[in-house]
Amino acid sequence: MTAALVQAEDISKTFAGVRALDAVSFEVQSGEWIAIMGPSGSGKTTLINILGGLDRPTSGSALVDGVNVGILGERELTRYRAEKIGFVFQNFYLVPYLSALENVMLAQYFHSVADEAEAAESLARVGLKDRLDHLPSQLSGGEQQRVALARALINHPKLILADEPTGNLDEANEQLVLELLQELHRSGHTILLVTHSPEIGRMADRRIELAHGRLMHIVAKLT
Amino acid sequence: MFWRILWRLLYASRGRLALAVIAVASGAAVCAALLNLNLDATDKLTREFRVLGANVVISAAQNGDAAATIDAGAMQQIAQLRLPEIVAAAPYLYLSGRADAEGNSTAVILAGTRFDEVKRMNSWWKVDGSWVDARDSSSDCMIGEAAAARLGLVPGKTLKVAYGGREAALKVAGIITAGSSEDSQIFMGLPLAQDLAGLGARASLIQITARGSASEIEDVIRRLSGALPEVEVRPLRQLAQAEGRLLERIRGLLFGTVILILALSSLGVLAAMAGLALERRRDVGMMKALGGSVRRIMRFFLAEAMAIGLAGGICGFIVGMALSEWIGERVFSVSITPRLIVLPATLVLMVVVSLAGALPLRLLGRIRPSDILRGE
Repeated sequence: MTAALVQAEDISKTFAGVRALDAVSFEVQSGEWIAIMGPSGSGKTTLINILGGLDRPTSGSALVDGVNVGILGERELTRYRAEKIGFVFQNFYLVPYLSALENVMLAQYFHSVADEAEAAESLARVGLKDRLDHLPSQLSGGEQQRVALARALINHPKLILADEPTGNLDEANEQLVLELLQELHRSGHTILLVTHSPEIGRMADRRIELAHGRLMHIVAKLT
Repeated sequence: MFWRILWRLLYASRGRLALAVIAVASGAAVCAALLNLNLDATDKLTREFRVLGANVVISAAQNGDAAATIDAGAMQQIAQLRLPEIVAAAPYLYLSGRADAEGNSTAVILAGTRFDEVKRMNSWWKVDGSWVDARDSSSDCMIGEAAAARLGLVPGKTLKVAYGGREAALKVAGIITAGSSEDSQIFMGLPLAQDLAGLGARASLIQITARGSASEIEDVIRRLSGALPEVEVRPLRQLAQAEGRLLERIRGLLFGTVILILALSSLGVLAAMAGLALERRRDVGMMKALGGSVRRIMRFFLAEAMAIGLAGGICGFIVGMALSEWIGERVFSVSITPRLIVLPATLVLMVVVSLAGALPLRLLGRIRPSDILRGE
Protein backbone atom coordinates (compact mmCIF):
# COMPACT_ATOMS: atom_id res chain seq x y z
CA MET A 1 0.00 0.00 0.00
CA THR A 2 1.30 3.45 -0.91
CA ALA A 3 1.85 6.11 1.82
CA ALA A 4 -1.18 8.31 2.51
CA LEU A 5 -1.15 11.75 0.88
CA VAL A 6 -2.39 13.32 4.11
CA GLN A 7 -1.46 12.03 7.54
CA ALA A 8 -2.98 13.99 10.43
CA GLU A 9 -1.68 12.84 13.78
CA ASP A 10 -3.15 14.15 17.03
CA ILE A 11 -3.63 17.64 15.64
CA SER A 12 -4.72 20.11 18.30
CA LYS A 13 -5.21 23.82 17.92
CA THR A 14 -5.96 26.34 20.63
CA PHE A 15 -7.05 29.95 20.02
CA ALA A 16 -6.78 32.20 23.09
CA GLY A 17 -7.47 29.32 25.43
CA VAL A 18 -10.27 27.85 23.32
CA ARG A 19 -9.54 24.43 21.91
CA ALA A 20 -10.63 24.45 18.26
CA LEU A 21 -9.19 21.03 17.45
CA ASP A 22 -8.52 18.27 19.90
CA ALA A 23 -6.18 15.41 18.94
CA VAL A 24 -7.59 14.81 15.48
CA SER A 25 -5.99 11.96 13.53
CA PHE A 26 -6.86 10.54 10.11
CA GLU A 27 -5.32 9.68 6.78
CA VAL A 28 -6.30 10.51 3.23
CA GLN A 29 -5.15 8.47 0.26
CA SER A 30 -4.23 10.07 -3.01
CA GLY A 31 -7.28 10.47 -5.26
CA GLU A 32 -9.78 10.35 -2.41
CA TRP A 33 -12.64 12.82 -1.94
CA ILE A 34 -13.14 13.52 1.74
CA ALA A 35 -16.01 15.56 3.14
CA ILE A 36 -15.35 17.26 6.47
CA MET A 37 -18.60 17.81 8.25
CA GLY A 38 -19.85 19.07 11.54
CA PRO A 39 -21.73 21.93 13.16
CA SER A 40 -20.42 25.51 13.18
CA GLY A 41 -17.41 25.90 15.46
CA SER A 42 -16.54 22.22 15.27
CA GLY A 43 -13.09 22.98 13.82
CA LYS A 44 -13.64 22.10 10.13
CA THR A 45 -12.10 25.30 8.72
CA THR A 46 -9.29 25.22 11.28
CA LEU A 47 -8.44 21.70 10.15
CA ILE A 48 -8.16 22.56 6.47
CA ASN A 49 -6.31 25.77 7.28
CA ILE A 50 -3.70 23.68 9.08
CA LEU A 51 -3.49 21.19 6.22
CA GLY A 52 -3.22 24.09 3.77
CA GLY A 53 -0.39 25.77 5.67
CA LEU A 54 -2.46 28.82 6.61
CA ASP A 55 -2.33 27.97 10.33
CA ARG A 56 -0.01 25.94 12.53
CA PRO A 57 -1.16 23.20 14.89
CA THR A 58 -0.58 23.83 18.58
CA SER A 59 0.45 20.19 18.84
CA GLY A 60 0.43 17.09 16.67
CA SER A 61 1.59 16.91 13.10
CA ALA A 62 0.13 17.33 9.63
CA LEU A 63 2.02 15.51 6.89
CA VAL A 64 0.99 16.34 3.34
CA ASP A 65 2.81 14.60 0.52
CA GLY A 66 5.61 13.84 2.99
CA VAL A 67 5.94 17.44 4.20
CA ASN A 68 5.42 18.18 7.90
CA VAL A 69 3.48 21.38 7.42
CA GLY A 70 3.54 22.43 11.08
CA ILE A 71 7.31 22.86 11.25
CA LEU A 72 7.82 24.82 8.02
CA GLY A 73 9.17 28.38 8.18
CA GLU A 74 7.23 31.25 6.60
CA ARG A 75 9.08 31.04 3.30
CA GLU A 76 8.69 27.25 3.03
CA LEU A 77 5.02 27.56 3.90
CA THR A 78 4.56 30.06 1.09
CA ARG A 79 6.20 27.68 -1.40
CA TYR A 80 4.17 24.80 0.02
CA ARG A 81 0.90 26.66 -0.56
CA ALA A 82 1.94 27.68 -4.07
CA GLU A 83 3.07 24.22 -5.14
CA LYS A 84 0.96 21.65 -3.33
CA ILE A 85 -2.36 23.24 -2.42
CA GLY A 86 -5.32 24.52 -4.42
CA PHE A 87 -7.74 26.55 -2.29
CA VAL A 88 -11.42 27.14 -3.00
CA PHE A 89 -13.23 29.38 -0.50
CA GLN A 90 -16.87 29.97 0.23
CA ASN A 91 -16.40 33.70 -0.47
CA PHE A 92 -14.38 33.05 -3.66
CA TYR A 93 -11.66 35.55 -2.64
CA LEU A 94 -10.89 36.75 -6.14
CA VAL A 95 -8.85 39.95 -6.53
CA PRO A 96 -11.59 42.46 -7.42
CA TYR A 97 -9.51 44.60 -9.79
CA LEU A 98 -8.10 41.68 -11.81
CA SER A 99 -10.04 40.01 -14.62
CA ALA A 100 -10.99 36.33 -14.45
CA LEU A 101 -7.98 35.50 -16.61
CA GLU A 102 -5.62 37.62 -14.49
CA ASN A 103 -6.90 36.04 -11.27
CA VAL A 104 -5.87 32.65 -12.62
CA MET A 105 -2.57 34.03 -13.93
CA LEU A 106 -1.84 35.54 -10.50
CA ALA A 107 -1.67 32.02 -9.02
CA GLN A 108 0.68 31.01 -11.85
CA TYR A 109 2.80 34.10 -11.20
CA PHE A 110 3.18 33.23 -7.51
CA HIS A 111 3.98 29.62 -8.43
CA SER A 112 6.46 30.29 -11.24
CA VAL A 113 5.66 32.04 -14.50
CA ALA A 114 2.30 33.32 -15.75
CA ASP A 115 1.12 31.63 -18.96
CA GLU A 116 -1.88 33.38 -20.47
CA ALA A 117 -2.79 30.57 -22.89
CA GLU A 118 -2.77 27.94 -20.15
CA ALA A 119 -4.82 30.18 -17.85
CA ALA A 120 -7.37 30.76 -20.63
CA GLU A 121 -7.59 27.01 -21.25
CA SER A 122 -8.13 26.40 -17.54
CA LEU A 123 -11.04 28.85 -17.56
CA ALA A 124 -12.44 27.25 -20.71
CA ARG A 125 -12.47 23.91 -18.86
CA VAL A 126 -14.80 25.38 -16.22
CA GLY A 127 -17.04 26.86 -18.92
CA LEU A 128 -15.81 30.46 -18.78
CA LYS A 129 -14.22 30.76 -22.20
CA ASP A 130 -16.31 33.87 -22.87
CA ARG A 131 -15.67 35.52 -19.51
CA LEU A 132 -11.89 35.83 -19.55
CA ASP A 133 -11.76 39.62 -19.39
CA HIS A 134 -14.61 40.11 -16.96
CA LEU A 135 -13.92 41.49 -13.53
CA PRO A 136 -15.29 39.50 -10.57
CA SER A 137 -17.97 42.15 -10.08
CA GLN A 138 -19.20 41.39 -13.61
CA LEU A 139 -19.55 37.66 -12.90
CA SER A 140 -22.29 35.75 -11.09
CA GLY A 141 -21.49 33.92 -7.84
CA GLY A 142 -21.31 30.60 -9.67
CA GLU A 143 -18.99 32.04 -12.29
CA GLN A 144 -16.75 33.53 -9.63
CA GLN A 145 -16.53 30.17 -7.90
CA ARG A 146 -15.61 28.52 -11.19
CA VAL A 147 -12.85 31.11 -11.64
CA ALA A 148 -11.66 30.19 -8.14
CA LEU A 149 -11.71 26.51 -9.15
CA ALA A 150 -9.69 27.23 -12.29
CA ARG A 151 -7.24 29.22 -10.15
CA ALA A 152 -6.98 26.36 -7.64
CA LEU A 153 -6.19 23.86 -10.38
CA ILE A 154 -3.82 25.92 -12.53
CA ASN A 155 -0.64 24.84 -10.72
CA HIS A 156 -1.62 21.14 -10.63
CA PRO A 157 -1.80 20.93 -6.82
CA LYS A 158 -1.50 17.67 -4.90
CA LEU A 159 -4.45 18.57 -2.71
CA ILE A 160 -7.58 20.64 -3.27
CA LEU A 161 -8.95 22.19 -0.10
CA ALA A 162 -12.46 23.53 -0.55
CA ASP A 163 -14.14 25.36 2.33
CA GLU A 164 -17.89 25.27 1.73
CA PRO A 165 -17.42 26.05 -1.96
CA THR A 166 -21.16 26.00 -2.63
CA GLY A 167 -22.18 27.87 0.52
CA ASN A 168 -22.85 31.12 -1.31
CA LEU A 169 -24.36 29.69 -4.49
CA ASP A 170 -27.88 29.13 -5.69
CA GLU A 171 -29.01 25.62 -6.55
CA ALA A 172 -28.14 25.79 -10.25
CA ASN A 173 -24.64 27.12 -9.65
CA GLU A 174 -24.15 24.68 -6.76
CA GLN A 175 -24.90 21.88 -9.18
CA LEU A 176 -22.42 23.22 -11.71
CA VAL A 177 -19.63 23.48 -9.15
CA LEU A 178 -20.37 20.03 -7.74
CA GLU A 179 -20.23 18.53 -11.24
CA LEU A 180 -16.84 20.15 -11.71
CA LEU A 181 -15.63 18.74 -8.39
CA GLN A 182 -16.90 15.28 -9.35
CA GLU A 183 -15.08 15.55 -12.64
CA LEU A 184 -11.89 16.52 -10.81
CA HIS A 185 -12.34 13.56 -8.51
CA ARG A 186 -12.81 11.22 -11.45
CA SER A 187 -9.62 12.54 -13.01
CA GLY A 188 -7.69 11.57 -9.87
CA HIS A 189 -7.52 14.78 -7.82
CA THR A 190 -7.51 14.55 -4.04
CA ILE A 191 -10.19 16.75 -2.52
CA LEU A 192 -10.90 17.73 1.08
CA LEU A 193 -14.18 19.58 1.15
CA VAL A 194 -15.82 21.23 4.13
CA THR A 195 -19.61 21.18 3.94
CA HIS A 196 -22.73 21.35 6.02
CA SER A 197 -24.74 19.62 3.36
CA PRO A 198 -25.47 15.88 3.91
CA GLU A 199 -26.14 15.52 0.15
CA ILE A 200 -22.71 16.81 -0.75
CA GLY A 201 -21.21 14.76 2.05
CA ARG A 202 -22.70 11.63 0.55
CA MET A 203 -20.91 12.29 -2.75
CA ALA A 204 -17.53 11.94 -0.98
CA ASP A 205 -15.62 8.69 -0.60
CA ARG A 206 -15.51 9.24 3.15
CA ARG A 207 -16.95 11.70 5.64
CA ILE A 208 -14.96 12.98 8.60
CA GLU A 209 -17.36 14.24 11.22
CA LEU A 210 -16.16 16.71 13.82
CA ALA A 211 -17.85 18.08 16.94
CA HIS A 212 -16.30 20.50 19.45
CA GLY A 213 -12.94 20.01 17.77
CA ARG A 214 -12.94 16.26 18.19
CA LEU A 215 -13.17 13.66 15.45
CA MET A 216 -16.42 11.81 16.09
CA HIS A 217 -16.72 9.47 13.10
CA ILE A 218 -15.15 8.58 9.82
CA VAL A 219 -17.88 7.25 7.59
CA ALA A 220 -17.15 5.50 4.30
CA LYS A 221 -19.47 5.94 1.32
CA LEU A 222 -22.03 3.22 0.88
CA THR A 223 -21.43 1.45 -2.38
CA MET B 1 2.49 39.87 -15.31
CA PHE B 2 4.11 42.23 -12.83
CA TRP B 3 3.38 45.31 -14.96
CA ARG B 4 -0.10 44.06 -15.77
CA ILE B 5 -0.98 43.71 -12.10
CA LEU B 6 0.72 47.01 -11.27
CA TRP B 7 -1.35 48.79 -13.88
CA ARG B 8 -4.54 47.19 -12.50
CA LEU B 9 -3.57 48.25 -8.98
CA LEU B 10 -2.95 51.82 -10.09
CA TYR B 11 -6.16 51.95 -12.09
CA ALA B 12 -8.27 50.40 -9.34
CA SER B 13 -7.08 52.89 -6.71
CA ARG B 14 -6.84 55.87 -9.04
CA GLY B 15 -8.91 58.17 -6.82
CA ARG B 16 -6.86 57.63 -3.70
CA LEU B 17 -3.62 57.55 -5.68
CA ALA B 18 -4.53 60.79 -7.43
CA LEU B 19 -4.69 62.43 -3.99
CA ALA B 20 -1.25 61.03 -3.20
CA VAL B 21 0.09 62.27 -6.55
CA ILE B 22 -1.36 65.72 -5.85
CA ALA B 23 0.32 65.74 -2.42
CA VAL B 24 3.64 64.72 -3.98
CA ALA B 25 3.25 67.08 -6.94
CA SER B 26 2.53 70.02 -4.62
CA GLY B 27 5.62 69.24 -2.60
CA ALA B 28 7.65 68.61 -5.74
CA ALA B 29 6.54 71.94 -7.23
CA VAL B 30 7.72 73.89 -4.21
CA CYS B 31 10.92 71.84 -3.91
CA ALA B 32 11.73 72.15 -7.62
CA ALA B 33 11.03 75.88 -7.50
CA LEU B 34 13.22 76.41 -4.45
CA LEU B 35 16.02 74.20 -5.78
CA ASN B 36 15.93 76.08 -9.05
CA LEU B 37 15.95 79.38 -7.18
CA ASN B 38 18.87 78.16 -5.11
CA LEU B 39 20.83 77.28 -8.23
CA ASP B 40 19.82 80.13 -10.48
CA ALA B 41 18.66 83.00 -8.30
CA THR B 42 21.60 83.01 -5.91
CA ASP B 43 23.93 83.02 -8.90
CA LYS B 44 21.99 85.88 -10.42
CA LEU B 45 21.75 87.68 -7.10
CA THR B 46 25.51 87.37 -6.79
CA ARG B 47 25.72 89.06 -10.17
CA GLU B 48 23.19 91.63 -9.02
CA PHE B 49 25.27 92.38 -5.97
CA ARG B 50 28.21 92.86 -8.28
CA VAL B 51 26.50 95.87 -9.89
CA LEU B 52 26.61 97.54 -6.51
CA GLY B 53 30.21 98.51 -7.21
CA ALA B 54 33.71 97.32 -6.50
CA ASN B 55 34.51 94.56 -4.04
CA VAL B 56 38.30 94.49 -4.43
CA VAL B 57 40.65 97.44 -4.25
CA ILE B 58 44.33 97.69 -5.22
CA SER B 59 46.33 100.48 -3.65
CA ALA B 60 49.89 101.35 -2.74
CA ALA B 61 51.31 99.26 0.10
CA GLN B 62 50.45 100.89 3.46
CA ASN B 63 53.42 102.96 4.50
CA GLY B 64 51.65 105.89 6.14
CA ASP B 65 51.66 108.01 2.99
CA ALA B 66 48.00 108.67 2.09
CA ALA B 67 49.04 110.26 -1.21
CA ALA B 68 51.08 107.24 -2.34
CA THR B 69 50.28 106.14 -5.88
CA ILE B 70 50.73 102.98 -7.86
CA ASP B 71 51.96 102.36 -11.37
CA ALA B 72 48.95 102.47 -13.70
CA GLY B 73 50.73 99.76 -15.70
CA ALA B 74 49.24 97.37 -13.16
CA MET B 75 46.07 97.57 -15.29
CA GLN B 76 47.89 95.76 -18.09
CA GLN B 77 49.11 93.08 -15.70
CA ILE B 78 45.56 92.57 -14.46
CA ALA B 79 44.30 92.28 -18.04
CA GLN B 80 47.00 89.73 -18.83
CA LEU B 81 45.81 87.49 -15.96
CA ARG B 82 42.53 87.06 -17.88
CA LEU B 83 40.57 86.24 -14.73
CA PRO B 84 37.02 85.40 -15.82
CA GLU B 85 35.64 86.53 -12.46
CA ILE B 86 36.69 90.14 -13.07
CA VAL B 87 33.74 92.10 -14.44
CA ALA B 88 35.39 95.52 -14.43
CA ALA B 89 38.64 97.16 -13.30
CA ALA B 90 38.86 100.94 -13.04
CA PRO B 91 41.99 102.90 -12.12
CA TYR B 92 41.44 106.13 -10.18
CA LEU B 93 43.76 109.06 -9.72
CA TYR B 94 42.29 111.40 -7.09
CA LEU B 95 43.34 115.05 -7.05
CA SER B 96 42.16 117.67 -4.58
CA GLY B 97 41.59 120.58 -7.01
CA ARG B 98 39.21 123.39 -7.83
CA ALA B 99 36.38 123.82 -10.30
CA ASP B 100 34.87 127.01 -11.77
CA ALA B 101 31.67 127.33 -13.76
CA GLU B 102 28.82 129.73 -14.23
CA GLY B 103 30.55 132.22 -11.94
CA ASN B 104 30.81 129.70 -9.11
CA SER B 105 34.02 128.28 -7.74
CA THR B 106 34.51 125.38 -5.36
CA ALA B 107 37.12 122.99 -4.02
CA VAL B 108 36.42 119.53 -5.41
CA ILE B 109 37.86 116.03 -5.76
CA LEU B 110 38.90 115.37 -9.34
CA ALA B 111 38.84 111.68 -10.22
CA GLY B 112 40.72 110.60 -13.32
CA THR B 113 39.47 107.22 -14.49
CA ARG B 114 38.36 105.10 -17.45
CA PHE B 115 34.74 105.88 -18.24
CA ASP B 116 33.85 102.50 -19.80
CA GLU B 117 35.08 100.58 -16.74
CA VAL B 118 33.35 102.94 -14.31
CA LYS B 119 30.10 102.59 -16.25
CA ARG B 120 30.33 98.76 -16.17
CA MET B 121 31.15 98.79 -12.49
CA ASN B 122 28.42 101.24 -11.48
CA SER B 123 25.64 100.51 -13.90
CA TRP B 124 23.11 101.29 -11.16
CA TRP B 125 24.21 104.96 -10.94
CA LYS B 126 21.49 107.32 -12.00
CA VAL B 127 22.74 109.54 -14.83
CA ASP B 128 21.16 112.80 -15.96
CA GLY B 129 22.50 113.31 -19.50
CA SER B 130 24.74 110.55 -20.80
CA TRP B 131 27.90 108.63 -20.04
CA VAL B 132 31.12 109.77 -21.69
CA ASP B 133 31.68 107.40 -24.63
CA ALA B 134 35.45 107.57 -24.98
CA ARG B 135 37.40 105.68 -22.31
CA ASP B 136 40.12 108.37 -21.95
CA SER B 137 38.20 111.47 -23.10
CA SER B 138 40.10 114.70 -22.44
CA SER B 139 37.18 116.99 -23.35
CA ASP B 140 34.17 115.55 -21.50
CA CYS B 141 33.49 114.78 -17.87
CA MET B 142 30.85 113.37 -15.53
CA ILE B 143 30.00 115.29 -12.41
CA GLY B 144 28.40 114.24 -9.14
CA GLU B 145 25.05 115.86 -8.42
CA ALA B 146 26.26 117.69 -5.27
CA ALA B 147 29.20 119.21 -7.13
CA ALA B 148 26.96 120.10 -10.09
CA ALA B 149 24.52 121.85 -7.74
CA ARG B 150 27.34 123.87 -6.15
CA LEU B 151 28.58 124.93 -9.57
CA GLY B 152 25.12 125.39 -11.12
CA LEU B 153 25.90 122.93 -13.90
CA VAL B 154 23.58 120.94 -16.17
CA PRO B 155 24.57 118.51 -18.94
CA GLY B 156 26.05 120.30 -21.94
CA LYS B 157 27.57 123.14 -19.89
CA THR B 158 31.31 123.60 -19.56
CA LEU B 159 33.54 124.06 -16.53
CA LYS B 160 37.16 124.71 -15.77
CA VAL B 161 39.14 122.42 -13.46
CA ALA B 162 42.49 123.29 -11.95
CA TYR B 163 45.17 121.45 -10.00
CA GLY B 164 48.68 122.54 -9.08
CA GLY B 165 48.65 125.51 -11.44
CA ARG B 166 47.44 123.49 -14.44
CA GLU B 167 43.96 123.91 -15.91
CA ALA B 168 41.61 122.13 -18.29
CA ALA B 169 38.20 122.96 -19.77
CA LEU B 170 35.59 120.17 -19.82
CA LYS B 171 32.06 119.75 -21.07
CA VAL B 172 29.56 118.04 -18.75
CA ALA B 173 28.21 114.88 -20.45
CA GLY B 174 26.17 113.67 -17.49
CA ILE B 175 25.36 114.31 -13.86
CA ILE B 176 25.53 111.23 -11.67
CA THR B 177 23.64 110.31 -8.53
CA ALA B 178 25.43 107.52 -6.65
CA GLY B 179 24.24 108.24 -3.14
CA SER B 180 27.82 108.29 -1.87
CA SER B 181 31.00 110.39 -1.92
CA GLU B 182 31.07 110.19 -5.75
CA ASP B 183 28.23 112.75 -5.75
CA SER B 184 30.79 115.42 -4.81
CA GLN B 185 33.41 114.41 -7.37
CA ILE B 186 34.20 115.29 -10.97
CA PHE B 187 35.18 112.35 -13.22
CA MET B 188 37.54 112.95 -16.09
CA GLY B 189 39.76 110.82 -18.31
CA LEU B 190 42.75 109.29 -16.53
CA PRO B 191 45.43 110.72 -18.93
CA LEU B 192 44.05 114.25 -18.37
CA ALA B 193 44.19 113.85 -14.57
CA GLN B 194 47.73 112.47 -14.87
CA ASP B 195 48.70 115.52 -16.96
CA LEU B 196 47.16 117.89 -14.36
CA ALA B 197 49.06 116.11 -11.60
CA GLY B 198 52.24 115.90 -13.66
CA LEU B 199 52.69 112.37 -12.31
CA GLY B 200 53.00 110.34 -15.49
CA ALA B 201 51.33 106.89 -15.60
CA ARG B 202 50.32 106.72 -11.93
CA ALA B 203 47.02 106.02 -10.17
CA SER B 204 45.82 106.35 -6.58
CA LEU B 205 44.12 102.97 -6.66
CA ILE B 206 42.38 100.44 -8.86
CA GLN B 207 38.84 99.34 -8.08
CA ILE B 208 37.81 95.87 -9.22
CA THR B 209 34.41 94.24 -9.46
CA ALA B 210 34.75 90.47 -9.28
CA ARG B 211 31.90 87.97 -9.66
CA GLY B 212 31.49 84.84 -7.56
CA SER B 213 31.15 83.47 -4.07
CA ALA B 214 33.21 84.76 -1.15
CA SER B 215 35.75 81.97 -1.68
CA GLU B 216 35.99 82.69 -5.42
CA ILE B 217 36.67 86.36 -4.67
CA GLU B 218 39.28 85.35 -2.10
CA ASP B 219 40.91 83.33 -4.88
CA VAL B 220 40.88 86.35 -7.23
CA ILE B 221 42.57 88.41 -4.49
CA ARG B 222 45.23 85.71 -4.00
CA ARG B 223 46.02 85.63 -7.70
CA LEU B 224 46.12 89.43 -8.02
CA SER B 225 48.43 89.64 -5.00
CA GLY B 226 50.69 87.04 -6.59
CA ALA B 227 50.89 88.98 -9.84
CA LEU B 228 51.24 92.41 -8.18
CA PRO B 229 53.56 91.90 -5.20
CA GLU B 230 54.48 95.60 -4.87
CA VAL B 231 50.90 96.74 -4.18
CA GLU B 232 48.22 95.89 -1.66
CA VAL B 233 45.16 93.95 -2.85
CA ARG B 234 42.30 93.83 -0.35
CA PRO B 235 38.60 93.07 -0.39
CA LEU B 236 35.96 95.63 0.41
CA ARG B 237 34.86 93.35 3.23
CA GLN B 238 31.82 95.10 4.48
CA LEU B 239 29.90 94.62 1.26
CA ALA B 240 31.28 91.16 0.51
CA GLN B 241 30.37 89.87 3.97
CA ALA B 242 26.92 91.41 3.83
CA GLU B 243 26.38 89.72 0.47
CA GLY B 244 27.64 86.42 1.85
CA ARG B 245 25.41 86.63 4.91
CA LEU B 246 22.34 87.48 2.86
CA LEU B 247 22.96 84.68 0.38
CA GLU B 248 23.58 82.20 3.20
CA ARG B 249 20.31 83.25 4.82
CA ILE B 250 18.41 82.88 1.57
CA ARG B 251 20.00 79.48 1.00
CA GLY B 252 19.20 78.39 4.57
CA LEU B 253 15.61 79.51 4.15
CA LEU B 254 15.29 77.62 0.87
CA PHE B 255 16.70 74.38 2.29
CA GLY B 256 14.64 74.65 5.47
CA THR B 257 11.51 75.09 3.40
CA VAL B 258 12.43 72.16 1.13
CA ILE B 259 12.86 69.86 4.13
CA LEU B 260 9.56 70.99 5.63
CA ILE B 261 7.77 70.49 2.32
CA LEU B 262 9.29 67.03 1.89
CA ALA B 263 8.09 66.04 5.35
CA LEU B 264 4.59 67.36 4.61
CA SER B 265 4.47 65.55 1.25
CA SER B 266 5.55 62.38 2.96
CA LEU B 267 2.69 62.77 5.44
CA GLY B 268 0.29 63.27 2.53
CA VAL B 269 1.45 60.03 0.93
CA LEU B 270 1.36 58.33 4.33
CA ALA B 271 -2.30 59.25 4.81
CA ALA B 272 -3.24 57.98 1.34
CA MET B 273 -1.22 54.80 1.74
CA ALA B 274 -2.60 54.06 5.20
CA GLY B 275 -6.06 54.05 3.63
CA LEU B 276 -4.85 51.80 0.83
CA ALA B 277 -3.23 49.42 3.30
CA LEU B 278 -6.56 48.98 5.07
CA GLU B 279 -8.37 48.51 1.75
CA ARG B 280 -5.94 45.87 0.59
CA ARG B 281 -5.67 43.69 3.68
CA ARG B 282 -8.10 41.17 2.22
CA ASP B 283 -6.34 41.03 -1.17
CA VAL B 284 -2.95 40.62 0.45
CA GLY B 285 -4.22 37.86 2.75
CA MET B 286 -5.68 36.07 -0.24
CA MET B 287 -2.49 36.51 -2.29
CA LYS B 288 -0.50 35.01 0.55
CA ALA B 289 -2.93 32.08 0.74
CA LEU B 290 -2.29 31.48 -2.96
CA GLY B 291 1.44 31.21 -2.28
CA GLY B 292 2.50 34.80 -2.90
CA SER B 293 5.68 35.62 -1.00
CA VAL B 294 5.83 38.82 1.05
CA ARG B 295 8.63 40.06 -1.20
CA ARG B 296 6.66 39.52 -4.40
CA ILE B 297 3.52 41.09 -2.99
CA MET B 298 5.34 44.08 -1.50
CA ARG B 299 7.07 44.68 -4.81
CA PHE B 300 3.70 45.65 -6.30
CA PHE B 301 3.04 48.19 -3.59
CA LEU B 302 6.53 49.67 -3.60
CA ALA B 303 6.37 50.00 -7.39
CA GLU B 304 3.07 51.77 -6.89
CA ALA B 305 4.69 54.19 -4.43
CA MET B 306 7.53 54.79 -6.88
CA ALA B 307 5.03 55.48 -9.64
CA ILE B 308 3.37 58.06 -7.37
CA GLY B 309 6.75 59.65 -6.71
CA LEU B 310 7.66 59.77 -10.40
CA ALA B 311 4.28 61.08 -11.56
CA GLY B 312 4.15 63.65 -8.77
CA GLY B 313 7.78 64.59 -9.36
CA ILE B 314 7.30 65.22 -13.09
CA CYS B 315 4.09 67.23 -12.62
CA GLY B 316 5.68 69.11 -9.73
CA PHE B 317 8.81 69.88 -11.73
CA ILE B 318 6.78 71.51 -14.51
CA VAL B 319 4.75 73.60 -12.06
CA GLY B 320 7.87 74.29 -10.00
CA MET B 321 9.73 75.81 -12.93
CA ALA B 322 6.89 78.23 -13.54
CA LEU B 323 6.71 78.94 -9.82
CA SER B 324 10.45 79.65 -9.57
CA GLU B 325 10.16 82.07 -12.47
CA TRP B 326 7.32 83.86 -10.71
CA ILE B 327 9.11 83.96 -7.34
CA GLY B 328 12.31 85.11 -9.06
CA GLU B 329 10.56 88.03 -10.66
CA ARG B 330 8.28 88.99 -7.79
CA VAL B 331 10.60 88.44 -4.84
CA PHE B 332 14.15 88.77 -6.13
CA SER B 333 13.51 90.82 -9.28
CA VAL B 334 15.68 88.53 -11.36
CA SER B 335 14.62 86.39 -14.29
CA ILE B 336 15.06 82.69 -13.52
CA THR B 337 16.21 80.08 -16.03
CA PRO B 338 14.92 76.50 -15.52
CA ARG B 339 17.82 74.19 -14.65
CA LEU B 340 17.38 70.63 -15.95
CA ILE B 341 19.51 69.23 -13.14
CA VAL B 342 16.57 70.06 -10.86
CA LEU B 343 14.45 67.38 -12.60
CA PRO B 344 16.45 64.30 -11.52
CA ALA B 345 16.97 65.85 -8.09
CA THR B 346 13.22 66.40 -7.71
CA LEU B 347 12.40 62.90 -8.96
CA VAL B 348 14.84 61.25 -6.56
CA LEU B 349 13.53 63.31 -3.64
CA MET B 350 9.93 62.53 -4.49
CA VAL B 351 10.50 58.80 -4.94
CA VAL B 352 12.25 58.73 -1.55
CA VAL B 353 9.38 60.73 -0.03
CA SER B 354 6.80 58.36 -1.56
CA LEU B 355 8.63 55.26 -0.39
CA ALA B 356 8.87 56.75 3.10
CA GLY B 357 5.17 57.58 2.93
CA ALA B 358 4.44 54.00 1.85
CA LEU B 359 5.73 52.62 5.14
CA PRO B 360 2.21 51.65 6.32
CA LEU B 361 2.11 49.19 3.42
CA ARG B 362 4.91 47.28 5.10
CA LEU B 363 2.35 46.28 7.73
CA LEU B 364 0.65 44.28 4.99
CA GLY B 365 3.62 41.93 5.09
CA ARG B 366 2.57 40.86 8.61
CA ILE B 367 -0.95 39.90 7.63
CA ARG B 368 -1.80 36.26 8.36
CA PRO B 369 -3.95 34.83 5.58
CA SER B 370 -5.93 32.68 8.00
CA ASP B 371 -7.02 35.83 9.90
CA ILE B 372 -8.29 37.38 6.68
CA LEU B 373 -10.05 34.20 5.57
CA ARG B 374 -11.72 33.97 8.99
CA GLY B 375 -13.01 37.48 8.33
CA GLU B 376 -10.95 39.23 11.05
